[in-house]
Amino acid sequence: MPELWQAHLTFGLLAFIVTPGFGLGRGFQGLRLLLLLGISFIPVDGLSLAAYMRSFTDDVAITTLVALAFFAAVRLGLMAMPAQNARVQLLIVMAGLALFLYPATMGLSYLDPYQLGYAPRPLIAVVGVLALGLLLLRNWLGASMLGLATLTFSLGSKPSPNYWDYLLDPFIALFSCGALLVYACKALVRKPMPA
Amino acid sequence: MNSGKFGFLPTCLSVVALAAIFTTAWWLHPERAVAGFAVAGSPHALPLASKGPFYSTRFASSDLDEFVHASSVTSLPDGGLMAVWFAGSREGAADVQVRGARFDAIAAEWGEELVLATRESTQKATQKHIRKLGNPVIALAPDNRLWLFYVSVSIGGWAGSAINAMYSDDLGETWSTPRQLITTPFLNISTLVRNAPVFHQDGTIGLPVYHEFLGKFAEYLYISPNGEVTGKSRISKGNDSLQPTVVPMDEQHAVAMLRYAGASHHRVLASRTADAGRTWSKPYPIDPANPNSALAAVATPNHGLLVALNDLEDGRFRLRLMETDSSLDLWKPVIDLDESPDPEGNPFTPEVYRDIIGDKFRLSSGPRRLSLVDEFLTNLDKRVCKTHGCDFEYEYPYFIRSADGLYHLVYSWNNTFIKHVSFNDAWLLEQL
Repeated sequence: MPELWQAHLTFGLLAFIVTPGFGLGRGFQGLRLLLLLGISFIPVDGLSLAAYMRSFTDDVAITTLVALAFFAAVRLGLMAMPAQNARVQLLIVMAGLALFLYPATMGLSYLDPYQLGYAPRPLIAVVGVLALGLLLLRNWLGASMLGLATLTFSLGSKPSPNYWDYLLDPFIALFSCGALLVYACKALVRKPMPA
Repeated sequence: MNSGKFGFLPTCLSVVALAAIFTTAWWLHPERAVAGFAVAGSPHALPLASKGPFYSTRFASSDLDEFVHASSVTSLPDGGLMAVWFAGSREGAADVQVRGARFDAIAAEWGEELVLATRESTQKATQKHIRKLGNPVIALAPDNRLWLFYVSVSIGGWAGSAINAMYSDDLGETWSTPRQLITTPFLNISTLVRNAPVFHQDGTIGLPVYHEFLGKFAEYLYISPNGEVTGKSRISKGNDSLQPTVVPMDEQHAVAMLRYAGASHHRVLASRTADAGRTWSKPYPIDPANPNSALAAVATPNHGLLVALNDLEDGRFRLRLMETDSSLDLWKPVIDLDESPDPEGNPFTPEVYRDIIGDKFRLSSGPRRLSLVDEFLTNLDKRVCKTHGCDFEYEYPYFIRSADGLYHLVYSWNNTFIKHVSFNDAWLLEQL
């Protein structure tokens, strides 16, 4: 269904990334991706598999979708993984946005940052500066994630009228915070003890 | 991806493209002004509103087999009403449906039950797995579009709820397919509706909602006349308030009263806005008790409020109508709409209960539903009687004042019927 394009794409890309590649060549990996996209249309209980998964995940953020597409491209051998400093830059940006949004929007304060996504000019400005900063750092993945999220927001590609829903979802928020924590722990472990 | 292999020109072009994307997004999303509340003017002088004291009760629902709960009502342009509620084998069951009925103003009776939404119809429309439905709210917008909001759950309990919206442009004859409103960034779960929407001067719907996942707190949604969420504000925070009932007092000011879900004072909470709902004061406890149960309020012509609530610290065995002034400082009981004969709400044996509830049925049902009394008494079941005895439960009031000046209350009558109470200002004056 056209309105579920994002659910099918998410299902196909996620399944492609998490299932083993069996050492197949690039052409067969492409076919595997198409096959998984096809599987997302299999009906279960009156819904396609992709729609069924969406029942529990809702529509993921565009940033998540771009990240999934990027990792799929890496598995297809079309792109290389970014350097560690680029990954950390991106994780800092996404984790920062997540920590600004989620604790407060879940009821911890009278200020609900989710409201900023309905009147989004200040948020667009902040995210624009972040995207530009990532671009100047040659962090193409980060700049693409934020840029495409903003472009699709302007195009109204998702059912939500809220800018946050294009930028963040709980999956990319948890992943970013968790991965950043792991990086921080590793850095602390590696740090030489003072004599 | 982080490499220096891209030259100066591609980087410059990327900067320009990115700047264009963000500038366009900025330009496409201007700030929206919030219109003031559309405060009801003087009621049309229709017969029942302008005559002598008038108070009447009847059952809106008629199905004896189902658990019925969470009713809502709206007035229609012809003086009639439409009520909705949920009905099923039990609360949260997969067979729960959103049902409704129409009230004929001439006959002064409710018609047959209609099924407005089911788990299956909602699943088909939203393309999401749906486990259960609940809490329908119906309201007629100023443009005569009839809105029906209700919650559905895909995963978990009520904390996993999302709000669905459907509308009718022919006053309930036909309905649009339901669409899920997106109201939170956390998987779009944990927003529930229960209380009456209010309207703004530009047609915006102000929908009081609440959250139950992790925290229990209240919010106010701005929904455009075509059903898109355009903003929200927070009425409370934390873990102790639910189900705000919002009453506009003038174009900018409104009072919200909230169900108290905490464990310390068991009092109704109140909050105020002075900017048409954009910001709300910190909720504070007010005089009436609240046993963690829903309440409903409407404004009166003398700038006060009428509130229907279980004014109890524990139990829901008495539903009381109270009047207060706009400061919420002075409270006066108007009438006990329904109550257990036992002042403490203690249970009764099935034999005693049968006699009492039979009498209450005859007083409540109205002529059309009166014929159901024998079947009702024959099938008195586990819904009201448990091992410790049989209880009375009068809860979940929903209150409106129609354009003709009549007050209409609907509430759950022992979870077996939806009871409708209507009265006018003359009757109210007589009680005070």
